[in-house]
Amino acid sequence: MKRRTFLKLTGMSSASLALSGCQKSNEKLIPFLVAPEDGTVPGQADDYASVCRQCPAGCGILVRVSEGRAKKIEGNPLHPVNRGRLCARGQAALQDHYHPDRVRQPLQRDGERGSGRFAPISWDQALTLLTERMAGLRTAGQADRLALFTPPLTGSLATLVGRFRDGYGCRQHLAWDWLNTEWLRRVSQLSFGIDGVPDYDLAEAQYLLSFGADFLETHLSPVRYGQSFGAMRQLRPTVRGRFTYVGARLSLTAASADRWLPARPGTEGVLALGLARELLLRGVFDQAALQAAGLEASELLGQLSAYTPRAVSESTGVSPADLQATATDLATIRPALIMAGDAVAWQTNGLEAGSTIQLLNILVGSVGHTGGLHFSPPTAPGAGSSFADLRTFIRQMAAGRIDTLLVRGTDPAYSLPPALQFQAQLHKVPFLVSMTRVLDDTAQMADLVLPEHSDLESWDDVVPDRGVSQQVVGLQQPVVSPLHDSRSFPDVLLALARRLGGEVQRSCPWENYPALLRESMRQRLGNPAEAAFQQEWLGLQQQGGLFEATPPANARPPGGTFRLPSQLGSSFAGAAEAFPLFLQLYLSPFFTDGRGAHLPWLQQLPDPMTTTVWDVWVEINPVTAQQLGIVHGDLVEVTSMAGTIELPAVVYPGIRPEVVAIPIGQGHRAGGRYAAGRRVNPLQLLADIHDERHSLPAWGATRVQLRRLSATGHLVAAGHAEGSYRRDILGL
Amino acid sequence: MSRQARFYQWGMVIDLDRCTGCGACVVACQAENNVALVEKQRFAEGRDMHWLRIERYWEGEFPHVRARFLPMLCQHCGDAPCEPVCPVYASYHNDEGLNGQVYNRCVGTRYCGNNCPYAVRVFNFLNPDWPQPLPDQLNPDVTVRSRGVMEKCTFCIQRIRRGKETAKSEKRLVRDGEIQPACAQTCPPGAIVFGNLADPDSHVSRLARSPRRFRLFEDLGTDPSVIYLKGGGHEHAG
Repeated sequence: MKRRTFLKLTGMSSASLALSGCQKSNEKLIPFLVAPEDGTVPGQADDYASVCRQCPAGCGILVRVSEGRAKKIEGNPLHPVNRGRLCARGQAALQDHYHPDRVRQPLQRDGERGSGRFAPISWDQALTLLTERMAGLRTAGQADRLALFTPPLTGSLATLVGRFRDGYGCRQHLAWDWLNTEWLRRVSQLSFGIDGVPDYDLAEAQYLLSFGADFLETHLSPVRYGQSFGAMRQLRPTVRGRFTYVGARLSLTAASADRWLPARPGTEGVLALGLARELLLRGVFDQAALQAAGLEASELLGQLSAYTPRAVSESTGVSPADLQATATDLATIRPALIMAGDAVAWQTNGLEAGSTIQLLNILVGSVGHTGGLHFSPPTAPGAGSSFADLRTFIRQMAAGRIDTLLVRGTDPAYSLPPALQFQAQLHKVPFLVSMTRVLDDTAQMADLVLPEHSDLESWDDVVPDRGVSQQVVGLQQPVVSPLHDSRSFPDVLLALARRLGGEVQRSCPWENYPALLRESMRQRLGNPAEAAFQQEWLGLQQQGGLFEATPPANARPPGGTFRLPSQLGSSFAGAAEAFPLFLQLYLSPFFTDGRGAHLPWLQQLPDPMTTTVWDVWVEINPVTAQQLGIVHGDLVEVTSMAGTIELPAVVYPGIRPEVVAIPIGQGHRAGGRYAAGRRVNPLQLLADIHDERHSLPAWGATRVQLRRLSATGHLVAAGHAEGSYRRDILGL
Repeated sequence: MSRQARFYQWGMVIDLDRCTGCGACVVACQAENNVALVEKQRFAEGRDMHWLRIERYWEGEFPHVRARFLPMLCQHCGDAPCEPVCPVYASYHNDEGLNGQVYNRCVGTRYCGNNCPYAVRVFNFLNPDWPQPLPDQLNPDVTVRSRGVMEKCTFCIQRIRRGKETAKSEKRLVRDGEIQPACAQTCPPGAIVFGNLADPDSHVSRLARSPRRFRLFEDLGTDPSVIYLKGGGHEHAG
């Protein structure tokens, strides 16, 4: 091209550009005023149905997957437990999958135990190591020195672990965690002769009385009951269900109550009997239910003669007016429902107090009725271990009867109170294997660490043992391919069985875990032909599991004989003079027993009651704080018979003056960058006190003293601890 | 376009009698909208990045004490104080009642944040940082904001867009309940309801006519699109 032509062409094109610019100036300007709706064109994603494993409730989830990556978790609307809803923990499960500190390959200890020094090895090496150890034990006739520690298991995993255990010849499988249902089952057994976990028909109830059951946080099935609670409050056009909470601390659940009865710790049962006496005196009770329970009103009234309003008020610290008002509610509002939970269970009189609370359910006739409580179908036997089993297990450790301990899905080095001696006796176990996703406190002590698939990478079937009245089998399926060189726990068991050979291989013949899942599901469906089953299996994967359409008619009246507990006294560890305050530990709404502490979304989520972030604290009544010269944010020393820890103080209006409370869940030694080193584990304050007669734990029966240390507690709250605005200007 | 002629007028009802303060909405919002992680030290410096927060109010003294919760998010005001102060039109109002924020226009004057009576706008004082492989979780439909940019609740505008595109391809209007922001979708007690206020029969419109309704700082004349329903029964009256 000639220079002249080039200039000509350039001149012409720029001139035409300038002209068009002049002509269509509006089109140029307006796009800048009308915004581009802020962002990108939404892409197409796929939703896969699975099951949330952050707690045992077994909510159904839909995982949004885009280009092979999980992006968001929602509730599965078809799942009968949570019907499309999800809690904060379920939402945060994504970060469990993408956690930056996930173990990426098997690790072998390479240094002192507990030093945290590990050398990466291959899966073949790891399995060889473990197989050799197990084969050695078996050859020496010591197969029983292998032990397993897991949370309570359900569904096919329980079957597989049972078969593996029996085939190999070991009996020691401890299936225990903080969210177990032992206490509730034993209370049901004692009160109704039913070995089951109650399911509450909260949505239909008009009056709810909860004795320390934090059903919006950690009690049984929080999403299910959260949803029912919303319905109880505002779904029915003319009825607003009412709610009274009994407990020494105003929990997140209690904050939603219309009335709060702050009974002294350990006196909840007395309060229940006081209310029972009022109902009997007023003659407002369900005669048929009382008879079915083998009770006679006048006789019962005679037995309760000591529980006069004045006596009950003196014992519990609840004002006579509040007591009478609650009795009136219980006497006049139907259907009424009474719940009992952790704060009652964790006293030395927990079992007796629980059964007195169930007496109220009998009196208001709520068992097996609409708006009352129903009993879940019992799960497979052996699904969970008792507290007595836990203590026996630790004694076995101490006696050197455990050679190889395989811990999976739980972190006992963190979550067991040191008073139980698990941590102290761990050195008597020569070989500790931890199957985990992040290096938690237990894995830190392990000799061999096996990385486990995340929940979004694994197969399982989940049979909730709580929060259901019908048969529900959730189907957990891998929605993304594994990020790291990890494996699923059941597939590791099957690989071990193959390598060990002999009886254990014969009892675990499945090629892989999905094969077992399909077999179990096929049995549940009544063994259809292969082609038909294939079709059904696809349907189950789409739907998220097998759900019985309607709950079975549950009119089972409480049978057997209800016996009033002979005594309701509770005891505490620590003399009242030296340790003037009661310590109430509670499961954190977000971290529960510490299992959520590695998730940054939960760490930065302000605690709903204190608005504190990334921390653990001690809650003190304002009056007590003033007496001790403590202000909000001070560093204080909390001392019990068992130990001393330092925590920042939160001045908390919703707690009895003689009680202090600390959330469980922080203070991990390890557990990845987000969990590690967040102050101290409050479980070390718990004294060695239990309900010895019934072999139940008493986590709420320790007394403490408080001392102010300094003004630098480094407590950080999100926004304003007292709310950003005055309540009155908001119109609340 | 006049209000009557609009097809959509997005609004939200938050029933404080159902809200339990559980925090599920807060995490759902952060997961959906790529909100940055905030370390403890950053909180202490006031660099909190929540688009949705739960305010907690204590009421009374022991033993007659109660705690009340109030989910606070952008109120998508009809007369938004944040909009006229933006020198670069980053904060704008759209036809459907949303207060948008155009991140690549924002120059970080923070005038909008200063002018917002609800304090729901948060400023990126730092670049967000997600250690690997956490960035794989980021929602591809939502822009990741960088340092110097103001951000806030959008009513999950990406979900509104998707819903409208689906409806358009099927030649219909968006159905009631078809579009749900992350917070409303997850809310266990069903306290948060989102929908079209221009449709008098929508769930949100029916709830918005409740006698328990109130809006935050109505006297400022901001005309918020978020309507709260008073909590508490007769025990709370007076």
